[in-house]
Amino acid sequence: MDEKFNYTEALKRLEIIAQKVEDPATGIDETDKYLAESGKLISECREYLRSVKDTL
Amino acid sequence: MDSEHEYLTLRGLLSGVRETLEESFPEKLWIKAELSSVQARANGHCYLELCEQQDGSIVAKARAVIWRNRYPALAAYFYEVTGSNLAAGMQLLLRVQAGYSEIYGLTLTVDEIEPEFTLGAAERQRRETLARLEREGLLEKQRRLALPPLPRVLAVISAPDAAGYGDFCRHLDENPYGFKFAVTLFAAVMQGESAPESIVDALERIESSTVHYDAVLIMRGGGSSLDLACFDDYGLAFTIANYTLPVFTAIGHDRDTHVADLVAFHAVKTPTALAALFIDAFAAEDERLEQYATRLKLAFTNKISALLSRLDVLESRIAAADPRNILKRGYVLPLDGNGRTLKSVKALREGDSLTLMFADGTLRCRIEAVEPKN
Repeated sequence: MDEKFNYTEALKRLEIIAQKVEDPATGIDETDKYLAESGKLISECREYLRSVKDTL
Repeated sequence: MDSEHEYLTLRGLLSGVRETLEESFPEKLWIKAELSSVQARANGHCYLELCEQQDGSIVAKARAVIWRNRYPALAAYFYEVTGSNLAAGMQLLLRVQAGYSEIYGLTLTVDEIEPEFTLGAAERQRRETLARLEREGLLEKQRRLALPPLPRVLAVISAPDAAGYGDFCRHLDENPYGFKFAVTLFAAVMQGESAPESIVDALERIESSTVHYDAVLIMRGGGSSLDLACFDDYGLAFTIANYTLPVFTAIGHDRDTHVADLVAFHAVKTPTALAALFIDAFAAEDERLEQYATRLKLAFTNKISALLSRLDVLESRIAAADPRNILKRGYVLPLDGNGRTLKSVKALREGDSLTLMFADGTLRCRIEAVEPKN
């Protein structure tokens, strides 16, 4: 995980991605990129919840 | 050498004190006093220091003794009613016989103690403390603080060998989700007269630490009402109420709520419940992430379904426009010698040749007659 990982910012980005993917105007190629990004973000968020290294 | 002054011997003076005392207080009597120290000796006698305080200053002090023929019964009854042994700081109602010895001075011999009075005094003190904190606007002060959404760096105030602290750590470490917390113990005395000062000292150590803690947790694994009376102390409650970090309490009592609980940011009954509280906060966050994953997956699936539906419609339109599908229904398609579709009989004459296309093949034909409509 990036040392400067910001959980709150990651959640904001996930919300934007969810809205983009839900928007019918977003093309399938773009959606594919968003999904890849969201998968990475969700993994990082889950790892953050199970790690203390960023907090001390 | 004889003096010109009249005098008494020391013994004479003290004998007079004894006689006056015996005349003034010939019977046993009940007195109210604070226990400032207690020592049960190996010889079976129990020695007490009694005092009375006013505005924080000692205004009276005396020694007392419970002889070994009374002490076991009195101690057992006191414990049965209050759940605690005699301890410094308790308010007592005692039946005493005042006695005076020219050698040992004043001694109060105790033969009865009223344990219900001690319980009542603790409750009265608790109510007075609560009323004072309310007047000072301190009861709600902690609850106006903001707790970080994911509190994970935790300062714990507990006795290091307390079972409750062990339960807390185990529950936190063994959470089924694998969440990790950073817990630092600040050891303190959690029972008796010195507990409030010791806990306040731990709170000060946390505040001056270089680590920024998300929350402070004060815990112990239960005890009798009087064991926990230290959590009704005004000084401790005042410090908690004015503390800059959210303070959680888990003092481990089933029936009563202590003043420390009431001024804290949040109070639960047991250290295990406290661990569950923090684990649940993380579990809720984990679930929120899961909802994002589901939401994105659903949006993607919907998008693919919409694209497939569009393809289906296009396929149907194209299929519907294919003339071969019309031929299958029994129609024929007339073509001229160049394979172009014939749309009018006017382009043909007797003897011309044409091709009739069927779904399963073609017929080459020659025209015998042309009969246009009118």
